[in-house]
Amino acid sequence: MARVSVAWSNLLHERTRLLVAISGVAFAVILIFMNLGFMGALISTATNFYEQFNADLFIISTETLEISTSTAFPRERIYQVAGIDGVERIMPLYSEYLLWRNPETGVSRAIFSYGVNPNDPVFLMPELQGDEARRILSRPNTVFFDRLSRPEFGPQDIGTTTEADRRQATIGGTYTLGGGFAADGTLIMSDQNFVRYLKPRPLNLINMGLIQVNAAVSPEKVAETMDSLLPADVAVYTKPGMIDHDATYWLEATSIGFIFSMGVVVSFVVGAVIVYQILFTDIRDHLPEYATMKAMGYRSRYLFKIVLQEAILLAVLGYLPGLAAALGLYHLTAKATAGTLPVAMNGGRVIFVLGLTLLMCCLSGLISVRKAITADPAEIF
Amino acid sequence: MFKPQQTSQQFAPAREDLAVHIQHLNYFFGAGDLSKQVLFDISLELPKGQIVILTGPSGSGKTTLLTLAGALRSLKDGSLRVLGKELVGLSDRALVGVRRNIGFIFQAHNLFESLTASQNVEMAVELTGNFSSKRDQAGAMLSALGLADRVDYKPQSLSGGQKQRVAIARALVNHPKLILADEPTAALDKKSGRDVVNYLHALSREEGCTVLMVTHDNRILDVADRIINLVDGRLESDSSPNAFIQSKQGDPTDVSADMFIM
Ligand SMILES: Nc1ncnc2c1ncn2[C@@H]1O[C@H](COP(=O)(O)OP(=O)(O)OP(=O)(O)O)[C@@H](O)[C@H]1O
Ligand SMILES: [Mg+2]
Repeated sequence: MARVSVAWSNLLHERTRLLVAISGVAFAVILIFMNLGFMGALISTATNFYEQFNADLFIISTETLEISTSTAFPRERIYQVAGIDGVERIMPLYSEYLLWRNPETGVSRAIFSYGVNPNDPVFLMPELQGDEARRILSRPNTVFFDRLSRPEFGPQDIGTTTEADRRQATIGGTYTLGGGFAADGTLIMSDQNFVRYLKPRPLNLINMGLIQVNAAVSPEKVAETMDSLLPADVAVYTKPGMIDHDATYWLEATSIGFIFSMGVVVSFVVGAVIVYQILFTDIRDHLPEYATMKAMGYRSRYLFKIVLQEAILLAVLGYLPGLAAALGLYHLTAKATAGTLPVAMNGGRVIFVLGLTLLMCCLSGLISVRKAITADPAEIF
Repeated sequence: MFKPQQTSQQFAPAREDLAVHIQHLNYFFGAGDLSKQVLFDISLELPKGQIVILTGPSGSGKTTLLTLAGALRSLKDGSLRVLGKELVGLSDRALVGVRRNIGFIFQAHNLFESLTASQNVEMAVELTGNFSSKRDQAGAMLSALGLADRVDYKPQSLSGGQKQRVAIARALVNHPKLILADEPTAALDKKSGRDVVNYLHALSREEGCTVLMVTHDNRILDVADRIINLVDGRLESDSSPNAFIQSKQGDPTDVSADMFIM
């Protein structure tokens, strides 16, 4: 027959206390998941649009921090590398914020706008492929509108007419891209329209150079060659390198990474304090029993095990509802941000937070167990 | 030069027939200037199978003597043999081992409220490693104490006397050769107190174990083979119950022989 589970019985005996403890752990678990969720979403939204960029190499100014905080550089730079072995196609990309007026409310809001040559296959979104899309893109004062733009920008229906920087603008088509953390919404328009909206912006200053390379060559090799050819005002990145560049910016150059890590630490401490309080109270209430067990011949190690078992039980019992609630909150967050903040769970995080919760509870257990171990059996007579 | 073997030479050799053998025991609480002596040169022999009651005024050192005999405090002075083992100078770890052969009964029952009567008793059996038979052993001991129908009750649904009997079952389930009890009836009413002492008496006779019991309760002195009186940390008297009563005659509020008529 199995050992009498003192830990389990003690926890179950005080229902209210157990409920408080589980809520405390669950609360900490939710906070940790939310912080990690936001951090993960930030990293992925800050960069996931790059997946839709139809290029192998990216040339940006060395002063560019991330895509929406870019410094323009001379278009000559991409012509300089056009002749390199393996380069298939070079494409200029213009980008800038533009004030987009919501036609229903009349409120204007900054939208991130890309300018492309309609003949360049810059993006992979299916709506932008084909002759029809190219024709629409070439029309004056016509833009493609990102369906993941925040609802505050107004209706997204094709044919909607409004103003952008006091110039008429018509939605000629839509696509799904997302603007990352910086942009609430995005537009794609022809380079001709772009210079019209953003006067006096010249066409010979670009924000990003996109390069497609031959499938037979390695992009890394080509990038190296380019780097040696180009002056120091620009840098060349592969696609993973570009994603990494922007992600690093968001995590390091801003305090966002720090804030969310801090959030995790604070949640951890809050959870640990709650568990410590519960375990300490439980031990204090059972001190005569623990002392009696020592008198009977149990060693401190056994009491240690009871407290640690209680800690692990609390960790698991609090983790499960915490995980469930976090999944619900992730869903709500993704919905509330219209999918622009894709807070999503992944297996690594599920395991990481479980480990963190166990660590949190065991640490509290180890701190509170000292009380049980010092229980002096000679004092209970 | 300190020679440990010389210290032991002062004491009589170990004797097979004694459950507890105390020689020239002194005990101090505290250290240095604050040190206070509570036991003075105690020498005491408890033969196996005896029921011995320890009485004396409050603060005379009864509980202290009991905790020493129970291997609950470490000792540096004198000689204290319990069940053939010398406790003086023993490590804490070794003391725990000695304690497994002793049954403790406290004034408070100290039962886990979250566990049933049987589980509380089983906790003691688990110390012996008899996991397969622990439930049967606990059940048998609880039945012997008249609690057959309360085996799966939690302490909160037991009376004070029943709880104390569960605590006694826990102390006795491993058939210890020595039982130490400190005022086991103090928290009980007259009837329950009497019952508890009767069970203790019957079980000690059956098992042949030695009982050392501290009590202020004069109604239960009759179960004793011997009564020891401790005053201010010194052994004042050591007598049979009848002699003890005689010595107290003339003090009608204290003890009378009538109390022994059951
Ligand atoms: N942990 C301790 N530290 C210091 N002094 C103590 C300690 N425990 C007991 N004493 C002192 O030792 C003396 C003997 O105490 P003890 O508890 O053995 O008395 P007792 O005979 O059991 O009394 P009572 O009948 O009231 O239970 C008392 O003067 C008490 O104040
Ligand atoms: Mg006492």
